[in-house]
Amino acid sequence: MSDPSIDHWYPVGLLSDINAPRQTLLFGQEISLTKEDTGFSVKTSGGASLPTIKRFGHLWTSLGQPDHDLFAIPEADTPGRHLVDVGSVKVKCSPLRAVENFLDIAHFPFIHTDILGAEPHTEVDRYKVEIREEVNEVWATKVKFFQPQAAKSAEEGIITEYMYRVPAPTCAVLYKTCPPRPGEWDIITLFVQPLTEEWCEVWPWMALYDDESTMAEMVSFQQLIFMQDRSILENQIPLKLPLDPGMETPTQADMTSVAYRRWLKRIGYSYGAQMVAA
Amino acid sequence: MILYDYVLSASCYKIRLMAALSDQKLGLRAVNFHPAREHKSPEMLKLNPGGTLPILRDGNLIMTDSSDMLRHLTKNLPEWQRDDDEWLDFAKTLNETLGMARLHDVLSFNVDIDAARNGGVRLLRRLEAHLTEQRFDGMIFLTGDTPTIADIACFPNTALAPDGGVSLDVYPSIRLWMRAIRSLPRFIEMPGIHRLHELEAAE
Amino acid sequence: MNWIAVGLTDDIPAGTVVPRRVDGLDLAIWRSELGRFHAWSDRCPHRGMRLSHGFVRGEMLACIYHGWQYSLDGSCGYIPAHPELTPPTTICANTYVCEVRNRALWVALGPVKDDIPDVGDRIPIRSFDILCAASEIAQHFAHPQESLLVLNGRYDLAIALQPSTSRSCFAHIFAGAGQDRKIVSRYVEKLRDEMEAL
Repeated sequence: MSDPSIDHWYPVGLLSDINAPRQTLLFGQEISLTKEDTGFSVKTSGGASLPTIKRFGHLWTSLGQPDHDLFAIPEADTPGRHLVDVGSVKVKCSPLRAVENFLDIAHFPFIHTDILGAEPHTEVDRYKVEIREEVNEVWATKVKFFQPQAAKSAEEGIITEYMYRVPAPTCAVLYKTCPPRPGEWDIITLFVQPLTEEWCEVWPWMALYDDESTMAEMVSFQQLIFMQDRSILENQIPLKLPLDPGMETPTQADMTSVAYRRWLKRIGYSYGAQMVAA
Repeated sequence: MILYDYVLSASCYKIRLMAALSDQKLGLRAVNFHPAREHKSPEMLKLNPGGTLPILRDGNLIMTDSSDMLRHLTKNLPEWQRDDDEWLDFAKTLNETLGMARLHDVLSFNVDIDAARNGGVRLLRRLEAHLTEQRFDGMIFLTGDTPTIADIACFPNTALAPDGGVSLDVYPSIRLWMRAIRSLPRFIEMPGIHRLHELEAAE
Repeated sequence: MNWIAVGLTDDIPAGTVVPRRVDGLDLAIWRSELGRFHAWSDRCPHRGMRLSHGFVRGEMLACIYHGWQYSLDGSCGYIPAHPELTPPTTICANTYVCEVRNRALWVALGPVKDDIPDVGDRIPIRSFDILCAASEIAQHFAHPQESLLVLNGRYDLAIALQPSTSRSCFAHIFAGAGQDRKIVSRYVEKLRDEMEAL
């Protein structure tokens, strides 16, 4: 396969869960994962071995030749955090639509009503967006939003601060206000596995400060949030993410997604994208 | 009362919804159904050897069947029970078809997906025919003009059908019935069933 | 171009929105609080979300994703993320002409030459999908056109066919004024079974 989109690392399984062999798809190709004495192995249907990385509780692989290591999240290594495997969910949408939705906050009052947002607190204040050239990542900072129940650990409504980071074409990292530890960030990630251009498997993962909630409660909270987005993702037209202007109309609140689309175009990423404005 | 609960389970939601609509307090114990399969853990199997969710505990009474739970929650509320036996059975078939199609599409459960979807469509057509005839008689709910456990049992898997690839676009009476349920006082949502934002304007 | 029936007005109460696929085109049919019908492309110009998942407030249709509100002519009137902003007039939903006749809503996807078909004093019964092409059904009844099949017969039926895809349609059933609606409903279900067996 000659599409350069394959030259990146992609999540394909949960380390704690690959006890029986797992068959899955990557870029429309069948791959199988097995746990062996020496570690995990990923093979194509033709028997070729693919490179692997174990990080953030997940197994990562590539069908191509990445010229870089998988990104790091140094803050996630600080002690006292609960590392939460949220478990995967499949969605019939482009992997890029899943990432873009994760970067969006204007939908909080309507899709995550009374949790991440509520009317009439719908205004999105101006925030800062940049493509950081030195690391080739999209970053949005100084994002603020009023949230009735920002996290499982939150007791009441607060103004939540956010930072968004896109360190890889189908991965996003959210750093958000941590109610139990003011000054620290809770970390919530979305790692997206492209099954095909219009179908993906989403692997959320978290590194949280929360000594009150059970693991099941933390997992439930994040699954709830993601599943609220799923029916949106499966009903956006066109299925592929349009990278050219003309098809869709952004506003100031959408600057992170505008930067994400611009960045995808710049790095030549086209899997799950629609290049021509209809 | 304690409900051993999974946030994405349609059957658990039936119980959460019934408790909310009837203004009854329900303690929730989150179970890591996915990805940890906690419902199959030794502790959970002691509680329910069947290894399923939901489980409802009321004092020493432990229930593992959602129909039993709905009856239990409404045992002192006769207005919520009326001609519902056949619909509680019907709700189980919705679970086996639409419910399984959803688990296949969302959580990759091993299911004969065509059989599940086709079975679901046959059931939706029956539901649509019945609700249409109810509307001819001026009634919006399954067994009358007020909701009962029949409606609560059938609502979740029906409303979540699109999660499993079964569209509800072609069932006008089912849509109006779902809207009536979502408009009930103290209605609560679950992921995949949005809040009725139209109601916000009334404030 | 013909008028195409897309729904019975009793099935689309004020303040609701429904999806309809007409000849492969996805529409959002909505009815304002004052009862006015609209037929729009089922796609919000913001991020392509289906408007048929949205909600009606007063005389506006809002998209469920970000709550953008559109007024009667399709123009965007309010963006919740920027409450003080007057949305640019370029942000506009795509609208189609539609009209009520005989308690059904008819849509024109392009310029029309003829009047909306008339069902006379028949009453609306129900609408359901048939997994069979509208053209095949019209052919089966040896009927000249699909918009309205006047079948007469015991129940004095007239069926307005809405082609959906190449293999399915939505049928809007009318019957004679004095008919028992339950009996007609059960009868046309049998007709549907016959059509689907074709």
